[in-house]
Amino acid sequence: MAYLIHLAILFAIYAILGVSLNLVVGYTGLLSVTHAAFYGVGAYTTAILLTKSGVGFFSSLILGMAIAVAVSFLIGVVLSKLKGDYYALGTFGFNTIVFGVFLNWQNLTRGPLGIPGISKPELFGINFANNFNFLVLALIFLVLMYFASRFVVNSSFGRVLKAIREDETAIAVFGYNTLYFKLVIFVISAAMAAVAGSLFASYITFIDSSSFQLTESMFILAIIILGGLANLRGSILGALFLILLPEILRFVGFPSDIEAQMRQVVYGIILILLMLYRPQGLIGEYKL
Amino acid sequence: MKIIETKNLVKRFNGVHAVDRLSIEVEKGQITGIIGPNGSGKTTLINLLSGVLEMDSGEIIIDGAKKITRILPHQVSFYGITRTFQNVRLFEQMTVLDNILVVVTERNVFSSLFEKHTEYHHKIAEEVLQKVGLWEKKNQLAVNLSYGQRKLLEIARALAMKAEVYLFDEPFAGLFLEMRKIVSIIIQELKQENKTVVLIEHDIGLIRELCDHIFVMNEGKLLAEGKPESVLEKREIIEAYLGE
Amino acid sequence: MGILPQLILNSIIAGAIYTLVALGFNLIYGATKFFNLAHGIMAAIGGYAVFYFAKTLGLDVYVAIILGVALACLVGFGLDKFIYLPLRRRKASSMVLFVASLGAMTVLQAIIAILFSSQFKTLSQNVGTQKLFTILGGVITQTQLVILLSAALVMAGLVALLYKTQFGKAVRAISDDEEVARIIGINTNKIIGYVFFIGSAIAGLTGILVGFDVGIEPKMGLSLLLKGVIASIVGGVGNIYGGVLGAFLLGFVENFGIWKISGEWKDAIAFALLITFLIFRPRGIMNK
Repeated sequence: MAYLIHLAILFAIYAILGVSLNLVVGYTGLLSVTHAAFYGVGAYTTAILLTKSGVGFFSSLILGMAIAVAVSFLIGVVLSKLKGDYYALGTFGFNTIVFGVFLNWQNLTRGPLGIPGISKPELFGINFANNFNFLVLALIFLVLMYFASRFVVNSSFGRVLKAIREDETAIAVFGYNTLYFKLVIFVISAAMAAVAGSLFASYITFIDSSSFQLTESMFILAIIILGGLANLRGSILGALFLILLPEILRFVGFPSDIEAQMRQVVYGIILILLMLYRPQGLIGEYKL
Repeated sequence: MKIIETKNLVKRFNGVHAVDRLSIEVEKGQITGIIGPNGSGKTTLINLLSGVLEMDSGEIIIDGAKKITRILPHQVSFYGITRTFQNVRLFEQMTVLDNILVVVTERNVFSSLFEKHTEYHHKIAEEVLQKVGLWEKKNQLAVNLSYGQRKLLEIARALAMKAEVYLFDEPFAGLFLEMRKIVSIIIQELKQENKTVVLIEHDIGLIRELCDHIFVMNEGKLLAEGKPESVLEKREIIEAYLGE
Repeated sequence: MGILPQLILNSIIAGAIYTLVALGFNLIYGATKFFNLAHGIMAAIGGYAVFYFAKTLGLDVYVAIILGVALACLVGFGLDKFIYLPLRRRKASSMVLFVASLGAMTVLQAIIAILFSSQFKTLSQNVGTQKLFTILGGVITQTQLVILLSAALVMAGLVALLYKTQFGKAVRAISDDEEVARIIGINTNKIIGYVFFIGSAIAGLTGILVGFDVGIEPKMGLSLLLKGVIASIVGGVGNIYGGVLGAFLLGFVENFGIWKISGEWKDAIAFALLITFLIFRPRGIMNK
């Protein structure tokens, strides 16, 4: 039971990551493979503030979002000059650079040694070391992020995003400054990823740079492709699937070091099969 | 009065002049046709006027006042210009209704976040979709429409802009008779509302029927201009076409 | 003087390695126009195959190398035949191909890790007792000399292939416009298959050389590939000499860049170079 709760918390965190990335990739059509960078910004902000100062969890969360907004704004401005394949490549680059900062700014992040001893949130005296309470907190955030995303997607703004995905020049000609729209959604998406990062840091109580590499960004991308692009519930479903999958594999009984790799094998095969036979994912409406 | 004027407009691709020192004047409230063989630069001209392409040199003057050397795509609608595309560019995976709504809603990034939909926008959408006969199909995805319906949807989208100048790039191409009639009526109605229409077409009959004034282009240059009847009689025009 | 000659030498060697990757990548990208993430894995396959054949099975080193390259070719060719070709037939977008290649890369990388563990291994028989040569104040190993030679040979060979043979002509035609090439009667799918064969062979060879030089690990493919891509873009995509130029520029920028700071920043520096070019000179050095 305790293990189920653990899985559920991870699910909630990845669902937030998936939903937020889907806004950029699925709805706006921007192949962004740098989400882990903003995830990391949130995680490190919370980790550093909670271990080195008296700042509480919720304040660190807000600050994490603010930093993610600033960083993503700069990255977004640079990325706006890139098209197609070069855009994706540019995002690879930024993920690598931000990861480089996490790894090498050892004074701040302790690099590969990581930051241990991150405390839990404090709110009305609720004991968040009790994982069930933390799960509720995580789910509340997921619900908030989900409804915020739905709000964005159903607004006129969201409709313009989809048009950008379909034909950016065509919608521009009708009076829409597509640069601004792309920048804003990129920043919103990054802020949400930072929230997931803060939750992650406080839950696991220890973080290090290895969680925020390119491969993590690719994993989040896999979640939303599996669940279905441009479908928020699909991203939640995708997160559920990809969190539960390793557990199913566990039943097959691979030795533990092989198990992590088998997970990757399965992820990879799923991606290939999806592209070949069902590019719209589980419940997606938009075919890549 | 002139609503659009170009002065020595030039656009090159790989050293080839697609538009070669073109200077034309489009009169307000008229239907102006542009004809010429394939590759004569007609679509390039429209692309330059609508900000899709950047000119190499020259000037575009809107409403006798604003001189422009660089139009950004999203500024085009502020100049009161809208257009359709030769190879239909719709928002494929969006519904017919959304294809219209998306161009009439709030343009400011932040305001659009807080706008869901209003009666006003839906009224406009219904009005233009009824005009082209696509209101019943409003919830279908654009990608599922027939070719003719897609062209009509593009025209409806342009109409929804309530612009002053309409640039139509081969709006009749590939349409059957009934749909041609619809488009023809729409264009004539625009003229009655004192709007300006610029029309690229290959069908000479339609040109004669609709246009007040035509330009003939060839190899990026202006070959001739004037009233359709007089221009179309000139020998060199016929030769330019036959030589294509 | 001191360290300068060694730095220059290191830069040249790095440049040679990146040249090899860029050549293989450029060849395939030119013909297929999508970022094949799995290309890097061919390098890993080459390296690990040699490890298996030479160290585990005890075969003669040269035989192992030939087998290693052959295996890389086969896998690359197979990927095209069973995944990319069916997708191309379906007119899949380059995004779909990219994601499929992401899946393939993930699977293959994980399989390598399962079979050989994620530990760093080296291919050289006697580490540290390789023949050394001194050139102008800097030291270079035998393997590194071979790397330089290989880069030169492969480049020469590729230029000859592309510009002096019928096959090369067909490849260039496809790179210019696949549609047109097919219309004029070129069997594009067959030629592309061969392109994958050759490109993967080059990648496999690169992996083997890197294996002898520093060693092998499952992740080596991705990082080599990214460097190769950076080199291609900086030098000018689709241009053989551009790829070479970009590769050496990258090698120099990386090695001089980390002169005074930790070597861990190498990747970040590489991507910073990429992003600089993407913003200011996206067509690369060689293209106008």
